[in-house]
Amino acid sequence: MFVARSIAADHKDLIHDVSYDFHGRRMATCSSDQSVKVWDKSENGEWHCTASWKTHSGSVWRVTWAHPEFGQVLASCSFDRTAAVWEEIVGESNDKQRGQSHWIKRTTLVDSRTSVTDVKFAPKHMGLMLTTCSADGVVRIYEAPDVMNLSQWSLQHEISCKLSCSCISWNPSSSRAHPPMFAVGSDDGNVTYGGKVQIYEYNENTRKYAKAETLATITDAVHDTAFAPNLGRSFHVLAIATKDVRIFKLVPLRKESTSTGPTKFEVQIVAQFDNHNSQVWRVSWNITSTLLASSGDDGCVRLWKANYMDNWKCTGILKGDGSPLTGSSGQPTVMRTVVGSSAQASQNALNGISAGRYFFPPLDPPRAATGHGHLLPPPSLIEHCDVEHNQPQQQSVSCRLSSRSLVSLSESDGQ
Amino acid sequence: MSGSKSDILWSPHHPDRYVICDSELGLYRIGPAGCAELKAGTVPLSGETAATLLAINSDTPYMKCVAWYPKQEPECLLAVGQANGRVVLTSLGQSHNSACKELVGKEFVPKHARQCNTLAWNPVDSNLLAAGLDKHRADFSVLIWDISSKFSPEASVSAEKIRLSSSDLDPSLVVTKPLYDLGQNDACLSLCWLLRDPKLLLAGMHRNLAVFDLRNTSQKTFVNTKAIQGVTVDPHFPDRVASFFEGQVAIWDLRKFEKPVLTLTEQPKPLTKVAWCPTRTGLLATLTRDSNIIRLYDMQHTPTPIGDETEPTIIERSVQPCDGLIGTFAWHPSRQNRMVVVSATNRAMTDFTVFERISLAWSATTSLMWACGRHLYECAEDGPEGAQGLLEQDIATKMRQRAQSRYGHDTVQVWRNHLLAGGNDSQLKSLWFDLFYMKQCAEDAELKLQGNKQAIVYSGIKNIVKTSSGTTESRKCWSGSERQTEATRFHSEERGLALRLCGWMGRASDVDVEPFLRSLEQEREWERAAAVALFNLDIRRAIQILNRGAMAEKGDLNLNVVAMALSGYTDEKASLWREMCSSLRLQLNNPYLCVMFAFLTSEPGAYDGVLYESSVAVRDRVAFASMFLNDAQLPRYVDKLTNEMKEAGNLEGILLTGLTKDGVDLMESYVDRTGDVQTASFCMLKGSPGEVLKDPRVQCWIENYRNLLDAWRFWHKRAEFDIHRGKLDPTSKPLAQVFVSCNFCGKSISYSCAAMPHQGRGFSQYGVSGSPTKSKVTSCPGCRKPLPRCALCLMNMGTPVSSCAGTGKSDDKVDLTRENKLAQFNNWFTWCHNCRHGGHAGHMLSWFRDHTECPVSACTCRCMQLDTTGNLEPLDSS
Repeated sequence: MFVARSIAADHKDLIHDVSYDFHGRRMATCSSDQSVKVWDKSENGEWHCTASWKTHSGSVWRVTWAHPEFGQVLASCSFDRTAAVWEEIVGESNDKQRGQSHWIKRTTLVDSRTSVTDVKFAPKHMGLMLTTCSADGVVRIYEAPDVMNLSQWSLQHEISCKLSCSCISWNPSSSRAHPPMFAVGSDDGNVTYGGKVQIYEYNENTRKYAKAETLATITDAVHDTAFAPNLGRSFHVLAIATKDVRIFKLVPLRKESTSTGPTKFEVQIVAQFDNHNSQVWRVSWNITSTLLASSGDDGCVRLWKANYMDNWKCTGILKGDGSPLTGSSGQPTVMRTVVGSSAQASQNALNGISAGRYFFPPLDPPRAATGHGHLLPPPSLIEHCDVEHNQPQQQSVSCRLSSRSLVSLSESDGQ
Repeated sequence: MSGSKSDILWSPHHPDRYVICDSELGLYRIGPAGCAELKAGTVPLSGETAATLLAINSDTPYMKCVAWYPKQEPECLLAVGQANGRVVLTSLGQSHNSACKELVGKEFVPKHARQCNTLAWNPVDSNLLAAGLDKHRADFSVLIWDISSKFSPEASVSAEKIRLSSSDLDPSLVVTKPLYDLGQNDACLSLCWLLRDPKLLLAGMHRNLAVFDLRNTSQKTFVNTKAIQGVTVDPHFPDRVASFFEGQVAIWDLRKFEKPVLTLTEQPKPLTKVAWCPTRTGLLATLTRDSNIIRLYDMQHTPTPIGDETEPTIIERSVQPCDGLIGTFAWHPSRQNRMVVVSATNRAMTDFTVFERISLAWSATTSLMWACGRHLYECAEDGPEGAQGLLEQDIATKMRQRAQSRYGHDTVQVWRNHLLAGGNDSQLKSLWFDLFYMKQCAEDAELKLQGNKQAIVYSGIKNIVKTSSGTTESRKCWSGSERQTEATRFHSEERGLALRLCGWMGRASDVDVEPFLRSLEQEREWERAAAVALFNLDIRRAIQILNRGAMAEKGDLNLNVVAMALSGYTDEKASLWREMCSSLRLQLNNPYLCVMFAFLTSEPGAYDGVLYESSVAVRDRVAFASMFLNDAQLPRYVDKLTNEMKEAGNLEGILLTGLTKDGVDLMESYVDRTGDVQTASFCMLKGSPGEVLKDPRVQCWIENYRNLLDAWRFWHKRAEFDIHRGKLDPTSKPLAQVFVSCNFCGKSISYSCAAMPHQGRGFSQYGVSGSPTKSKVTSCPGCRKPLPRCALCLMNMGTPVSSCAGTGKSDDKVDLTRENKLAQFNNWFTWCHNCRHGGHAGHMLSWFRDHTECPVSACTCRCMQLDTTGNLEPLDSS
């Protein structure tokens, strides 16, 4: 069961991004109020804001942590067309005693001519590298050649994606078998421009990033994309937030040793869920990439989990806005939660289908040819979790009661 | 609003009431949708809310527009503009208030009848009601009425005229003289009062937008534009106004009224409503005709102009509140981003909240944080103390728990690891028993000095049966009877080994299955025990086991029936027994009972009923196969089963593949499926045949597992894992990381030299060895110069700290208590990498317990705070 509690964020405007550090002990938030806040978790699990400062002269879209082996380093990007790198320093004053930390700006990256929409550090085995993408469709990869001096960043690569970029995600795999790779999503709404997620891969020979794949089936605006932590798996998993939640599997085809081109992938769509009704805003993987969380226009956070048969199912729905009561009392409130929803299980049993699992042949031409924004599989294939959001209240009750019997169900079909 | 077009108005004071007007006025109240409360007149609006119809008013026909009186009292007063230009005050529900009684029914009549397009109450001076009318020759089109004004005798002439049409009206309630009349010779399509000054009225006239000032009605500021419909002022930004024309929305800044600041992308269909969100700045909702979506324009990110170019940005979103076409909508005045939507066709209402983009993130420790609007919510998976034990946990949680219970670290009783893992995963159980048997066999082989056999133990049954040679056949009797069985049993050394790996044969004797049967009985696995006994051609024992199973506490009495059936066994081909058993066995639930009859009824050599019964444990099937399949069938069967296991990533298959490349393949598909790198790492470390560990995939799992432990701050567990790994894979040991070199001669001061003098070549060179060295650790072994002094005790480093005598002998390390460990550490060299001051570790630790700055005078270095990660406590400190 998941229990949610509210934290007084004290941001003056919309919060655009939340980001945990490597250990999950610190958190950074950024907001339209142009500030970034850093939070530290105390021993008893409470979050305390230990720093809050104005970072940009526009809405701050994203904030992200570097691996702690590079120090306590944050990067932020903003509508003001810049990205910035911040480092925590041990101040001269007694900040530490007052529970405040001090962050100073190490650099401002001003290469973009338009709003910088996402910023991400590359996986740590690549060194200290920072990637930004911007609304003019350019991905920039910076490197700090000297990790002791964060004020110097050199622009290593500039990759034009032709489409306005909204999000970027690095493949976290540290395996030598996988060359560095990232996915860029575009929020361009024009479906005729083709695939909105492009995957680039580093080529050891040319020392450049080259496009390895375009996910042609995604023609609607993409708001977020996330590579799953690889964890030694032989394939990569990519979650995409567009008008629905989609999970793709990229299976690297074994290369002949002679070929030097980009890795070829077998692209499989593993799951597709339109439960968020219209737009899906964010997707995020847990550390073992066994749980996916997504948020969407229906104001809910949904949790997805695959069973052993690789069937993805909704295992939890959390109301995103908290109930109106939570704000005033400040008490931890048990949110409406559905774990392993019973209605769904029974429905699946009724239909006798394995829900949420559809394999399409890679690069399926008929689907691409429909070209329309409505690229949903036929209704019979879509997993209908609708039952839940029609009567969530009743259901949550029934679920709690029946959770025991449920377990046996879910485990038995996991075998 | 006649006929099709409807509108919604929220009550300005009751957050749960609204009015829907189409041909009549309907007042609704929103409440929670409880089943108990459901009664007639209640319509569900959403999952949680339902609306109750409170009152209907159909007194005023030909409604064109409605406006709700903004003041608290009288509460339900509405102004209705009619098709003939009259404005009628009406009310919903009972109004006991005298002020209200006086007002209700009052009519304001223009000089010439024409359609009333719009109404607007002055938000401050609430007596004033502005009405916008169609054009009538040179007449005024914007009339501002004072609702408190009485019947005016001067206007009695026109009142007379009107009486012709509506004779039933009380003349005292008819007002014909407006307070102001504006907009001569023009038509007015939309009106709104400006918030920055209650005397200013913005009107969308025919082909221009005009601002009227009531203090000086002769003048107006205006701008020519087509976008004159639906003027509305942003409640959060009083100078910002939106208006529309056809499919286009124009945003105006009243301070810069010449041209629109912004025009939004044109919609293919004409717009019907544009409304600012009252609860959030800069959010504009628009609706077009025959559409099922509401478009939202988020303008709040428009920053102050930087330099010369202003870059107005808008985030456009569309929401679909209901399935059908939307007639109209209205924002809730106070609830955040909430609106009620009325469908165009059937007047179905929907309560709908527009949600902000929720951003979310998982932490390393399975808690989820999300930000909704300005609020943060954290959500963590409940601890195991809840009713969680039963629910399938995520593998991340499982791995964390298993790491803490030292899963994988039991290297003696290897099988116990499955208990450390929680003991409820059959695959893990099977895996660790496999590894346990492998270890046992390997140890036995070592005892017998059969080096070659030791290697083959870990290569799995698949490879063992391939090398099988010298197979002998035997036809045994059913024990306790003279009858010969039809089944041929095969024997060879390799098959014997396979049976041992399957766990059927103990280490003591190579033929007796009895100990295994007894252990199964102890585990109450009656059916399995009976099947094993039967496969060992001991029907009597099998029956005995079943009997015992039926008799045991909570035993299944049906087992007796099975035993009876079993006792009737006959090998006659055409017997009824055979016929019935082979058909009825399929209905048995327990797979072991099923395979027992399959074995008895099958033709010799054709045991598919047993071999392909997938619910029977792999080890039992393999053991069966190695007893009854001949040299040609056995490898084929094992190969087939191996591939099946590899495909499925089933850990039971490790029995077949062993810890070979095949085993890594199998483990790869297990990891692909589950992400359980923990089991994969430990399993691959168990075998210790070097080549498996060199596989890049195995290295990758180990690295990923270590990374997980690091992220969870299980640093001690990580270190233990590294030690464990270093024992089996010496190449993984990291090199020495830090050397202390002497200030004078630059040679390394190797502290370990003191304990192990024979290793320190530098020592022997100088002819010092044994006890004299121990006393001289305060000086450099190279040049004999003293080592630096501790910043606190001012003794030369290397001097034993008073509380602990000596640097300790190496054999002390065997039984180090916690106290001892600390004492050992107390005389270590430590120094701050920043200020280069240092001393004995124990002294430094105690100093920084109370201080933040370096103990060296005039050094302000905050040595202990420099490293943020260094200040984190490991989560698993034991």
